[in-house]
Amino acid sequence: MANRGEIAVRVIRGLREFGVQSVAVYSDADRGSLAVSLADEAAYIGASSSSESYLRVDKIIAAALEHGAEAIHPGYGFLSENAEFAEACSAAGIKFIGPSADAIRKMGSKTEARQVAIRAGAPVAPGVESAITSTDEAHEIARRLGYPVLLKAAAGGGGKGMRRVDREEDLASAWRDASSEALRAFKNGDVYLEKLVIEPRHIEIQILGDEHGHLIHLGERECSIQRRHQKVIEECPSPVMLKHPELREQMGEAALKIARAVKYSNAGTMEFLVDRERNFYFLEMNTRLQVEHPVTELVTALDLVEWQLRIASGERLKLRQQDIQWQGSAIECRVYAEDPENQFLPFPGTITYLREPSGPGLRLDSGVYNGWNVPLEYDPLLAKLAAWGPTRERAIERLGRALAEYTVAGIRTNTEFFREILLDPEFQKGRLSTAFLDEFFKRRKARVADEWEEAAAALVAAHVGRATATAAPRKSASRWVIEGRDESLR
Amino acid sequence: MKASDEGRKPAMKWETLCGEREGSLVVEGSRFKYGEIEGDFSITPLDAGCYSVVLNGRSFLVARTPKGELYVKGKAIAIEVFDPRSLRSRGKGGGAHGRQNVTAPMPGKVIRVLVSVGDTVEAGQGLVVVEAMKMQNEMKSPKAGRIAEIKTKAEAAVSAGDVLVVVE
Repeated sequence: MANRGEIAVRVIRGLREFGVQSVAVYSDADRGSLAVSLADEAAYIGASSSSESYLRVDKIIAAALEHGAEAIHPGYGFLSENAEFAEACSAAGIKFIGPSADAIRKMGSKTEARQVAIRAGAPVAPGVESAITSTDEAHEIARRLGYPVLLKAAAGGGGKGMRRVDREEDLASAWRDASSEALRAFKNGDVYLEKLVIEPRHIEIQILGDEHGHLIHLGERECSIQRRHQKVIEECPSPVMLKHPELREQMGEAALKIARAVKYSNAGTMEFLVDRERNFYFLEMNTRLQVEHPVTELVTALDLVEWQLRIASGERLKLRQQDIQWQGSAIECRVYAEDPENQFLPFPGTITYLREPSGPGLRLDSGVYNGWNVPLEYDPLLAKLAAWGPTRERAIERLGRALAEYTVAGIRTNTEFFREILLDPEFQKGRLSTAFLDEFFKRRKARVADEWEEAAAALVAAHVGRATATAAPRKSASRWVIEGRDESLR
Repeated sequence: MKASDEGRKPAMKWETLCGEREGSLVVEGSRFKYGEIEGDFSITPLDAGCYSVVLNGRSFLVARTPKGELYVKGKAIAIEVFDPRSLRSRGKGGGAHGRQNVTAPMPGKVIRVLVSVGDTVEAGQGLVVVEAMKMQNEMKSPKAGRIAEIKTKAEAAVSAGDVLVVVE
């Protein structure tokens, strides 16, 4: 398992159910991680910095060979979409659990993926397929497309190397910023231009294919609620599909066309933008398991990791498209160590109290425990909390209920913020777009104080104060601030 | 208010600060009063740092971190409580040695500075008057000695823990 955090735990669990021994890899910061303690074997791969550990192809291959691993699951992020890594696995006689290196290479570059999609006959947003080489060229293309435009890193993901540009005078500097950010994040500074689709929904199609040419799709996930171009809430079905079920079929077919064009195998996801008229445009492909795969698992009753393992072991995908059924609704929220009241800045540190929710219709994929020190070196995702319900309304109610049970103390998290979003009428009506959070911050009202909750807290503080004689007063925690947030959320 | 009051379970009062809102909490036996609400309460510790609080039959799970941050039903509540008696009695214990910092026990405003650098002071002598929660408190010298430094002035806003005066 060439990854860390909750996804390492997820895959280790899948391997154990499949009857396969697991090997976790860990950096210095992750020696005490949940994944290491759950795995059958563990291998140290280096210093805490990702570039010294989870991004080191040589160290991971060496660890796999030393432990006699037959296959490597790359998880998401890190080396999961790195074609050289997939090749290095094959060269070492280790099965890479994912698509072929060739498919990763073709679909990993956004510009090349666009070309594949166009040739396969799938709709793409207006734009150019090749990297920008000069400011003049950028200006000319942007003028032709019409502002606002979007600069995107060819090798990008997670919003890195991406800039919205509304005015011509901002283009040159935005291009330089995006390019240098892309270079730092992906070791590739290529950036291209697309017409910006205004207030689109972000809807993606999960696909699954075996190594014998059989491909199916498992429907969509709507991931429109994003901060800094990173998804925070995902759901299946998309509220759009609930009203227009034919869209699932159309987008599913478009996704399969692209997948067939690159002879895709294993799990993968095609991301699309959907505008208000329900036109959809292919955005990019993720040639790996997605963070948000649990919502698909909850509504299709399929285990994606299990199928990844079966497919990688050469098994035929026995599921036909008509076998796939979607039942009820599932919604997931990504619980991050971050401060939603302070521009979603990461908030690493030690978890000093943890109480996790449970009960009907819930799924918690967590990578942490009470006492765990959330390292500052990595993405601060703690856990994914997902709820299933027979209807979208029930799923929302369950997720809200679960969040009220969820207490993570010692660090700041976004659990309270999610409770507010779930109560938002626009969210409840399913009126989603990638601009949702910007709009939400504008209409968000200050939290109404609950005197009963305050009294309960005050009584505990007084109780502890009496028990420990004089507890030193501390500076009050950050206040409920609403203004000045719009900029930070772009 | 003397220490001998403790044995009779008198009403205890705390000043509270929730965000910027001031208030008070009064506890008498199993009764409490906070702002507009009052009633019966009971507190039971669960696992470390976690309490079950029942207020008039309403149940709350309250987690408290070692730093004193409080979470009710998963939600952070920025509330602090101060025992006014401990503020007034602060500094009465003699026998302190060396340089001693006199600090503001809670956020407030300095009303008066009663001493100057170089003054000789007795243990328990008032040094600075700080107003907080609409109450004026005299910050007293923890020891007999000399005023080494004054780090505040009248009208200054102070935060909890700010050093006001150094006595040596």
